Amino acid sequence: MTPQPSSTDLPPAGAESLFERVRSAWQAWIQRIFGEREDQLFLFLAVLIGIFGGLAVVCFRVAIDWVQFVLLGSSLYPGWPRVVIVPAVAGLGIAALVIWVFPRSRGSGVNQTKAAVYVSNGYIPFDTVIGKFVVCALAIGSGQSLGPEDPSLQMGAGIASKIGRYLKLSQSKIRLIAPVGAAAGLAAAFNAPLASTLFVIEEVIGTWSAGVLGAIVLSAVSSAITMRYFMGAESLFRVPYVQPAHPVEFLGYAVLGVVGGGVSLLFTKWIAYARPRIQALPRWTHFLLPAIAGLIVGVIGIWFPQVLGAGYSIIDQALHGEFAWRLLLVLAVMKLVATGVSFLSGTPGGMFAPTLFIGAMLGGGIGAIEHHFFPSITTSVGMFALVGMGTLFGGFLRVPITSVFMVIELSGSYTAALPVMVSSLIAYLISRHYQEVALFDMLTRQEGLILPSIEERREQEAFLVEDAMRAEGAFVVRPNEPLADLAKKAEAQKELPMLLRVRMGEWRLLDGEDLQRLANDGTTPHTASEVKSKGPLPLLFPDESIEEAMRWLGDWPVIPVVSRADLGQLEGALTFPDVLKAVRKAKAE
Amino acid sequence: MVDFDQDKVAPEKQPASERPLPEKAKRMPGMYIRERVLIACAVLLIALFGFTAFIARQYHHRIHQYADQWFARGEAAMNEGQTSAAINDYRNALVYKPEDPTFQFHLAQALARAGQEVQARTYLTNLLSEDPSSGPINLTLARIAVSEKNNLDAVRYYHSAIYGVWETDPLQQRWEVRSELCEYLLNHGNVQEAEPDLIALAQEVPMRDVGREKTAGNLLLRAGLWSRALSEFRAVLDTDRRDPDALAGAGRASFQLGDYVEAVNYLNRLPRDKRDNPDQAQMLQIAQQAQTMNALRPGLRISEQARRAENALSVAKMRIAACDKQRRETLTGAAGAAPDELQKLYAVMQQNNKAWTFPGLSTHPDQIPSAMSFAFQAESAATKLCGPPRSEADKALSLIASKHPGQAGE
Repeated sequence: MTPQPSSTDLPPAGAESLFERVRSAWQAWIQRIFGEREDQLFLFLAVLIGIFGGLAVVCFRVAIDWVQFVLLGSSLYPGWPRVVIVPAVAGLGIAALVIWVFPRSRGSGVNQTKAAVYVSNGYIPFDTVIGKFVVCALAIGSGQSLGPEDPSLQMGAGIASKIGRYLKLSQSKIRLIAPVGAAAGLAAAFNAPLASTLFVIEEVIGTWSAGVLGAIVLSAVSSAITMRYFMGAESLFRVPYVQPAHPVEFLGYAVLGVVGGGVSLLFTKWIAYARPRIQALPRWTHFLLPAIAGLIVGVIGIWFPQVLGAGYSIIDQALHGEFAWRLLLVLAVMKLVATGVSFLSGTPGGMFAPTLFIGAMLGGGIGAIEHHFFPSITTSVGMFALVGMGTLFGGFLRVPITSVFMVIELSGSYTAALPVMVSSLIAYLISRHYQEVALFDMLTRQEGLILPSIEERREQEAFLVEDAMRAEGAFVVRPNEPLADLAKKAEAQKELPMLLRVRMGEWRLLDGEDLQRLANDGTTPHTASEVKSKGPLPLLFPDESIEEAMRWLGDWPVIPVVSRADLGQLEGALTFPDVLKAVRKAKAE
Repeated sequence: MVDFDQDKVAPEKQPASERPLPEKAKRMPGMYIRERVLIACAVLLIALFGFTAFIARQYHHRIHQYADQWFARGEAAMNEGQTSAAINDYRNALVYKPEDPTFQFHLAQALARAGQEVQARTYLTNLLSEDPSSGPINLTLARIAVSEKNNLDAVRYYHSAIYGVWETDPLQQRWEVRSELCEYLLNHGNVQEAEPDLIALAQEVPMRDVGREKTAGNLLLRAGLWSRALSEFRAVLDTDRRDPDALAGAGRASFQLGDYVEAVNYLNRLPRDKRDNPDQAQMLQIAQQAQTMNALRPGLRISEQARRAENALSVAKMRIAACDKQRRETLTGAAGAAPDELQKLYAVMQQNNKAWTFPGLSTHPDQIPSAMSFAFQAESAATKLCGPPRSEADKALSLIASKHPGQAGE
């Protein structure tokens, strides 16, 4: 006899159904999010990566400051023995770590991330993240003239890459996930999600890809929020009240643009010249290079301790007009030397903060000189320093769009947008004219890689349908046209295809043989609508790209090019030989 | 050893375990792999969040410690007068608490004190944009504008400070700022601009606050608001009848108001050391002289009026003679030449020589105003031709004339 279960052994009916409902809801959600559409998962991951990136950068920033407190003390102006000894001795440690433990941690991190996206399918080993964290914290904390932003970018990309690999994402998503992490890292380091998003698009991805833009924005925002949760919402520097400039004062910003462009060029040329030569030095010297760089930075730091480290607080002081013009210009030169030496020595660290530093000093210096000669200028020296930051960013890093948005984001005001647009654009044009390849692309090319550049793409002339189409490339046939007349026309223009305009926006390709057959049939009169035809044909517009046209040319021998205002009006016709001919002609020119 | 050349960016070799799954394989099994990975990520995220929260808390604690230490050092240096050390300390403090308005304000004050007005103003303008009604910020900006001789900004900021918010003792702070503004305006000769603030200043003096009453009185004296100044000094004297500053101020105010009796009364009550002060002594002398010559004072007996008028005429005659000597001209004038003002007056004097004596004036008191008018005109003409009066008697006569403008013009 089977014992009957008592009523107390059974789970309560209501509780069971609730449990089942929760479980089935969970499974359905999991299925929906992770099982069906990878795009949804990708957006979810962007947020996750943003939070991870933000947390990593918080720890990174704390580590840098902690190293600085321990090694250099808490003062902006440490005593000279510390200033000389600490960067040099730390340099020996950095060299050992880079050579023996974390060889992938060299460089700024931006071009390495870009290379990972395009060469390694988004694969960034996780030891790069750890290496960047440890070595950069030691380097920047000990006073080397480098910044934490670019390493943060690479750390974010590395974390994202690791998560993507663990999740077994498709190859295409793995490739895209590294820039998503890069945006997270940079947004947290810079506390400027908008500028970070633009930078990653301009410099890392190198193209405006709609597919990844949403994920980048999500990760940058979630990372910046994470950063602000732990470190506060303050921006890296306190930007003073920005007053609108008088139109005449834009001349002053133009001067700043010219000088900024010159300095950017000088800095880039120096690195381009010296880097391959230093890398070619005997291997044993690489153990000493960071220490020598540290010693040089330390010696500069005896008189100008402001150049040590990232220098955010010094930028802050410059923004508040705390330095006289001579000191500002001297600091700009000294920081340029210190940063160049630190970077060329192979010490890992970023170029963002030093670029902002040099720009702020240069801008402030030029602003102060202009004030000296034209006391009626209403714009403050701090405003010039702010614009100077954007100017060097545009000229040296060659990211003009990012530079404008960065200044807007940092100042929290659109008032600075116009001045920085003027100044940054001039600097960019000067730098672009005299230095064909931008800094990060140049560094990558020195390593034997050629990666896509948004700058080059931006300047490529678009090849359009109107460049290849033939205006008289076909003749238009109306459906009710008698075949007798049509046959004569077709005989006269044998080489031209006949396009039948059925109605507005519907075009068909008439079969010439069938037309002749029907035309020769003398029993009954025929019209064009009775002739065999292919279609409806895809339509092209004159301003569309050739790439768009090529998608259709494989399937159709000819494609009508019509007016956007009237789809029944033929502007021309495009065939594959037309495209080939136009391409050859363009190359010959 | 790792070759440095290997550090170049090169295609990374991806471990097989981490390679992405083929499309087919990742449909259903992949889902569960992802679920597990995401759960692991969530756990890791929580752990990392906790860890970061811990270190961030420690970090902020340390940062606040540094900020407060540097600020305290800055305050100490400032109190010791070591402004440049204080500036460095405040800057160090601001590295750790960059948004702290107190730190920024103290740094700005130190910068202003060190003569770095431009830098100080940048900080203060920034602070003002956050708190436009702050009294202390406006006051510091006003002082910077004063040092930069920017009158317009100085007055604007002073007024903003007067009507601004003060955390401690706002009434006293506002009064002090208004007093500073009045002082500044008077120093720059902007008496008219200072008048409304001086009047407000006098009205806002708390009862029985002797120090502020005296300050207000002195400022009113400097602005020439004699009667208001006299009221202030009288208020002080109601509290302390022997207050030397109040006596001197009241004496001067009375003197300027033409009340020589009161002026002499106040000035005579001054302690000896104060009375010996050259300014006070001269004022006393002039007041006393004026007392003996002012025949126009109401309520005098006719004989006293006549005596005072005769006294005034004798001073005027001596002034005409002295001026004539100084000019090396004859009062009778050259034959055929048009007589100048002094010569005309001399002629009038000769005509009335007999009538304008003590007996004549006592008998005909109606002549007293004419005699005094003549004396005033003589002083005025002599001043025009020979410069300001030098003797106390002449000064007294000029002073009486200035208090009787109707008589002087006759």
